[in-house]
Amino acid sequence: MKRRDVLKGLAALPFLPGASRAFAALGDLQETPFFAERVANGELPPLAERLPKSPLIVDLPARGRLIGKPGGEMTTLIARARDIHYLTANEYARLVGYDEKLQLQADILERFENEDDKVFTFHLRPGHKWSDGHPFTAEDFRYWWEDVAGNEEISPTGLPEFMVSKGKVPRFEVIDEVTVRYTWENPNPRFLPTLAQPRDPFIYRPAHYLKDLHERYGDKEKLEDLAAKAKLKSWASLHNRLDDMFENTNPALPSLQPWRVMNAAPAGRFVFERNPYYHRVDTTGQQLPYVDKVMLDVVSGGLFAAKSNAGEVDILARGLSMADIPVLKQGEAANGYRTLLWRHARGSEVALYPNLTTNNPVWRKLNRDVRYRRALSLAIDRHTLNRALLFGLAKEGNNTVGEASPLFRSEYRTRWATYDPAAASKLLDEVGLSKRGDDRVRLLPDGRPLEIVVEVDGETGLAVDTLELITEFWRDVGVKLFIKPQERTVLRNRAYAGGTVMVATAGFDNALPTALMVPSELAPVRQDNMSWPKWGQYAETHGKSGEAVDMPDGQRLLDLYETWLSTADEAQKTAIWHDMLSLHADQLWSIGTIAGALQPIVVRNGLINLPKEGIYSWEPTSLLGIYRIDEMFWDRQDRRVAEAR
Amino acid sequence: MIRYLARRFLTMLVTLLVISLLVFVIIKLPPGDFLTNQLAELIAQGDPEATRKAEFLRQQYGLDRPVWEQYLRWIGVMPGPSGYSGLLQGDWGWSFEYDKPVNQVVGDALWLTLVVNVFVVIFVHVVSIPIAIYSAIRQYSWSDYLATLIGYIGLATPNFLLALILLYYMNRWFGISIGGLYDAQYTNAPWSADKIKSLAQHLIVPTLVIGLSGTAAMIRRMRANLLDELGKQYYVTAKAKGVPPMRALIKYPFRMALNPFVADIGNLLPHLVSGSVLVSLVMSLPTVGPILLAALKSQDQFLAGFILMFVAVLTVIGMLISDLMLAWLDPRIRLGGK
Repeated sequence: MKRRDVLKGLAALPFLPGASRAFAALGDLQETPFFAERVANGELPPLAERLPKSPLIVDLPARGRLIGKPGGEMTTLIARARDIHYLTANEYARLVGYDEKLQLQADILERFENEDDKVFTFHLRPGHKWSDGHPFTAEDFRYWWEDVAGNEEISPTGLPEFMVSKGKVPRFEVIDEVTVRYTWENPNPRFLPTLAQPRDPFIYRPAHYLKDLHERYGDKEKLEDLAAKAKLKSWASLHNRLDDMFENTNPALPSLQPWRVMNAAPAGRFVFERNPYYHRVDTTGQQLPYVDKVMLDVVSGGLFAAKSNAGEVDILARGLSMADIPVLKQGEAANGYRTLLWRHARGSEVALYPNLTTNNPVWRKLNRDVRYRRALSLAIDRHTLNRALLFGLAKEGNNTVGEASPLFRSEYRTRWATYDPAAASKLLDEVGLSKRGDDRVRLLPDGRPLEIVVEVDGETGLAVDTLELITEFWRDVGVKLFIKPQERTVLRNRAYAGGTVMVATAGFDNALPTALMVPSELAPVRQDNMSWPKWGQYAETHGKSGEAVDMPDGQRLLDLYETWLSTADEAQKTAIWHDMLSLHADQLWSIGTIAGALQPIVVRNGLINLPKEGIYSWEPTSLLGIYRIDEMFWDRQDRRVAEAR
Repeated sequence: MIRYLARRFLTMLVTLLVISLLVFVIIKLPPGDFLTNQLAELIAQGDPEATRKAEFLRQQYGLDRPVWEQYLRWIGVMPGPSGYSGLLQGDWGWSFEYDKPVNQVVGDALWLTLVVNVFVVIFVHVVSIPIAIYSAIRQYSWSDYLATLIGYIGLATPNFLLALILLYYMNRWFGISIGGLYDAQYTNAPWSADKIKSLAQHLIVPTLVIGLSGTAAMIRRMRANLLDELGKQYYVTAKAKGVPPMRALIKYPFRMALNPFVADIGNLLPHLVSGSVLVSLVMSLPTVGPILLAALKSQDQFLAGFILMFVAVLTVIGMLISDLMLAWLDPRIRLGGK
């Protein structure tokens, strides 16, 4: 029963059904003041010629936002020059991207068709142009497919994983100037979600710019010369260096994002200027983004809160934490800004990962005993943790998905996560840990005291604080906890080699999944999941190293994951997600503590159109990405006038 | 004299060679390399290709070669992919983090560092020498005790804490922006009167903070040196013969008391570059300190190596200068021995 299910991603949610209104709106386009002079001089074509024939028309009032006014600039902070790539996540112009309800919508694409997750047809916007004015066409997709991903020197590792389904690569076709198609033999449900990730894989590249740097089109000798001058080994390295769409390191590289970088490192301030050819307009015919320039100042991370308090930033989220809230609130009135408090989306702020694949046989046996894991979870007083560490504002419970996810069920959070030391003690007795030694600490079967060394990434303070409290709780049930802070790289390498017994680190990165997102964090397929590094290694290396999954419940997770990857049926995907979440809540492969810390976001008064409440995460919200910072604007005349700088 | 100089230069070269080896080995000591660090970050950001890319990049950067080979290439006695090109040839290496030659990365920072630290040195000397002289000739007076008290407070205050407090109040009272060496809008702007003014305003706090402990130490030392000399017979004789007190003081004991300071130039020169790492970090100054720390943390080996080598060269040169100056200042010291 093959149901031919054609999903049409009609040009993004917030707009109108037909094209008629689009043309009506295009009739009264308003030139952006920032470009007015250049247009008058003939340096830039007028707006009507810069926009695609069918731009993305954003209906702001329909989404409860205001129609803005163009102009001005906004300043934010980064801790080091490389961090300018976080702007790419915040800008969030993607082929397909999530909207605020986490539904996939066409964005750069005009629309796309998806047949059973096997055949994906992408329709570009006719007349869409790169930031340098060159047309953006199917050729740019072909260039990536054949000359970047398909070139052994540029991509020695071959096609990226998400483009491969059951070992098969897709067939790529250019249908016409503005249409491309990828066809897989088996379903590839990872394809679209990967394109919507904060770290865009960019399956299109500005061919017209990069061809000059490519051996196939340019003069090879000249290229090798250039490469040698830049101290690079080959033309391919040079190509790779100049072709970094995500990192924003090359000001000459054309872009499709709302702002493009104007200067290169080393610099103390990076300036991003609006892209004259950006594809979104509001319903009154003004091109987005509203704000002309984004300034990123490089400032030591320790000063972020102080500088925000002094009113020196216009918008800042990344780098501030819950501990900064009092300082931020204190400066609000005097320095004219407001502090929005959004919720973090994380499975758990700190979770404990008993290593099922640890080398030591005694610990391995214990970690694999579900009663032991449940006992450790029941012995944690999460309410005290919450009050002591996060002002009582967090959610207490397992490492699982958050309320805002359509997959949320309260039992996933509460099962085996209540505070019940008596039950915990009973479970530990059942496991065979009933003998006690000095200080009432339980003894392992081999006579050693039950002293769990929990290794923790030394850079995160909250984890250490949490562990110190858990030490007290566990002592009550006769379990001794020893905290061992480690440098991050050392910790990872120890875990991969089976050296760790238990690790404390953040819970699920994506706590707001929809059924269409890939459940890879829940399955034993990644070695950086501290519950089963060796199983993950086995999956990542296709069996070359690590260990095969050798527990029925782990195998079940793996099977569910495989099934998810091979189905195009959304109902089945939802069912699989629930099965996996339920298994996690029951098996406690990771022991969650408290979730949903608040993320302060400092926004200058007058800079508006960012919702008061929202969710902050890397995945899936792409930091502020899905809330569309290109729609923010200055509601103050004085800030819209670009200062003479 | 010439023979002495030649011998000194020879030992300097050997010293630098040993230092370069030490520097390189120590940078390479922590497990992993630049790429393992990057890898962890890429994985955290969900770049699925990270692990596979790493091997390729490692080869590209030459990190797959043995450590001794990387070292020999770095100092330039072994040919790399583009021939002999290392410190000896004036090629300072490549910064992985910035993807740029090292000299482009440290260029601006180096001279801003010098500006900050030259101001600090001037501040330290201008403030501490008069106070020291005054408190030495008025030993055990209330003003001596006051200077001593303030000096000890200056020595005992953790300067990063002082930096934070001063930054906050300078911003509240005078509206000077927090951190950095000038207001943000001047960062990429060409030099102008306004930019220099902004620089001057922002120099106040770093100079005070970095200089305070130095000042305190200097007052104590200068005072002690002077006190040693003040009781000596030549000074008493000079005064008895009717030399005016100030002239007698400056001409004889003060000159003697300067000896240890000249000997100190060897430390002062490298201090100009590396002396303010912690404070620079706290105050977010665009100087060499934060770059060095970041480079060490991410194992950006050639960048870190270059900065450390630069400091080493300054130390060695500083030592030479101070030896030569001592001989000139104090005729009792003779070079070349025997």
